Amino acid sequence: MSRQRLRWPLTAAAALALAIGVAACGGGDNVGGGASENAPTAQGGPVKGDLTISNWIGYVDPGPNGTIPSFEKASGVNVDYNEDVNDNVVFFNRLKPLLDQGNSGGRSLFVVTDWMAKRMYDLGYLQQLNHDDLKTVFDNILPQLEQSSTDPDRKFSVPWQGGQTGIFVDTSKAPEIRSVSDLFDPKYKGQVTMLTEMRDTVPLVLQSMGINPDDATKDDWLAAIDKLRQARDSGQIRKFTGNEYTEDLTQGNIVAALGWSGDGSLIANKNAEWRRPTDGCDLFFDQAVIPVGAPNTAAALAFLNFAYTPENAAKITDYVQYVTPVNGVRPILEKTDPKVASDPKIFPTEQEIAPCSGDPDPPGSPQDVADVEAAFQEVVAG
Amino acid sequence: MGDTDRSQTRGIARGGAPSRLRRRLLPYGLLTPGVLWLVLFFVVPMYFMAEMSLRSGVPNTPEGFTFSWQFSNYPDALAGRGEQIVRTFFYAGSATIIALLIAYPLAYAIAIKVNPRWRLPLLFAVIAPFFTTYLIRTVAWETILADDSPIVSILKTLHVIPQDGRLLATSGAVIAGLTYNFLPFMVLPIYASLERIDTSLIEAGKDLYASARQAFLRVTLPLTMPGVVAGVLLTFIPASGDYINAEFLGGANNTMIGNKIQSTYLQESNYPKAAALSFLMMAAVLTVVFIYIRMAGTEAFVGEDEEAE
Repeated sequence: MSRQRLRWPLTAAAALALAIGVAACGGGDNVGGGASENAPTAQGGPVKGDLTISNWIGYVDPGPNGTIPSFEKASGVNVDYNEDVNDNVVFFNRLKPLLDQGNSGGRSLFVVTDWMAKRMYDLGYLQQLNHDDLKTVFDNILPQLEQSSTDPDRKFSVPWQGGQTGIFVDTSKAPEIRSVSDLFDPKYKGQVTMLTEMRDTVPLVLQSMGINPDDATKDDWLAAIDKLRQARDSGQIRKFTGNEYTEDLTQGNIVAALGWSGDGSLIANKNAEWRRPTDGCDLFFDQAVIPVGAPNTAAALAFLNFAYTPENAAKITDYVQYVTPVNGVRPILEKTDPKVASDPKIFPTEQEIAPCSGDPDPPGSPQDVADVEAAFQEVVAG
Repeated sequence: MGDTDRSQTRGIARGGAPSRLRRRLLPYGLLTPGVLWLVLFFVVPMYFMAEMSLRSGVPNTPEGFTFSWQFSNYPDALAGRGEQIVRTFFYAGSATIIALLIAYPLAYAIAIKVNPRWRLPLLFAVIAPFFTTYLIRTVAWETILADDSPIVSILKTLHVIPQDGRLLATSGAVIAGLTYNFLPFMVLPIYASLERIDTSLIEAGKDLYASARQAFLRVTLPLTMPGVVAGVLLTFIPASGDYINAEFLGGANNTMIGNKIQSTYLQESNYPKAAALSFLMMAAVLTVVFIYIRMAGTEAFVGEDEEAE
């Protein structure tokens, strides 16, 4: 739900950890990193012992009957569940010094967005998955998620939850806003915010310019970023935010914001409404992955199987209100919580999500990606 | 027993060799913990930062960054940064000046004017905000300065800010936040130096026909300069490196160098560029501080000479 709420304290902690990590390993020489083809395969086997998981805030149902305690009861595994992923890149940079040495910091499972999962895999930081150990997962996964552009054979990632990036509109102030292009209308100068996550913001701007992000060139990305720069310089964009935009909407500081479909519950403003932009669509999936050096991978695999039974997945969806990757959840929710079952944000139709881009990486070599990233950060952080 | 006794006596004996040695070693002994701490947590990381700032490579590749005396990281890190650097020092400088204007009268009142019985509670009130974390206090300001907040409505009614104006996400909000957050660092040193003043000196000045204003300018103010200089440094240096206030209270056009350094590290993953930028920032702050100390005079900085002896 709140994908970035605690970002800043963690950023500081991450910077510190990074400094220490850099100092400790003489500046991040890549010891454990290497070619991804040599990645070890996560071992299945008897399920017992301890399991440490890192996930985004509010991404599992809490409470004594929640998924985690239920799994503990069913499996006898003792779970240490941490909500310490608040930003893909920050989380990555915090762990990198450890992962370089083939150490996961005790974690056996964590959840990052698909492009980040691919980046980690390409750097040799993730273990491969044997589908025989994930029978429940692959029996129940939505057919369209069996392949993914970032992981065609599901070699290293299992979808955890998905969501859509779109526009939150304060309908009492600007009910007419329906597209990303509308956000650039001078009428709303200083009253719109965009996201600091480049792969959310830029693909939506590209689509508003009539460019399909999946075919976009580096120059297209830079053109979209330049459009953002002009809007920043003119004062059109008030701020680039993590999910602090929910606060700005609550306070009534803005009329519209780019935001994530599951964040509605964080906004204490009954006029705030999430809309899929008429000129674009972004559907991302956060992926559960098993890092190198992960202890007790058997328990991690068992946990994923557990979360993929439709009954458990329905409980998670009912709470987190994001898009589930599991088949058979909707019929269950139709009985238990019809409101959620009929929510198009949570159960979008195939038609609605067909044109969606999926938080793509910019095209080209790592240098090209770094150039685009630098250009975007130039707009966001000055 | 006898041996121990004798050696103790010798140790205590005036001018005895071991005593002189011990006395000579004592300062080093006192310095050791501080020096070790600084070496471990300042010098060593600085070395790795310096080394990192001269590496080259592409972010997020298996090869990572390799050391290659890449001095061009420095000009690269600075390219296009001019406006942001000026903005950073403008924000930090404004916050320092405003904090000084608020802190001096406040410290003066607490140390000299109020009933001594009130000193402790007032000082406590100055320090009290520290019991809440910095981050939470800054986030609270978001609510105080929100567009629909009472403060903004009042200022609009008074035509201090235009009808379509705002406070949050402006330079003013960032400067206000910096001022607020670092104010105690300005108050405490000034209070400490005011509190030490022998008030009979002020009375003596008045006996010599100084007006209240003259007595203040010629006696009180010069005597408290060490406190003022310390307060200015304690406010200006952290304010220049701050990025939390700009992040929460500023808008897209109010970012400071600290925001850029953190995004270069944690978003771009370009460690060499971020390290180079950190060093340049440190050099810039040191230069400003050095010029300031030169202007203020080292006496004001380290205290009067006769006190040192």
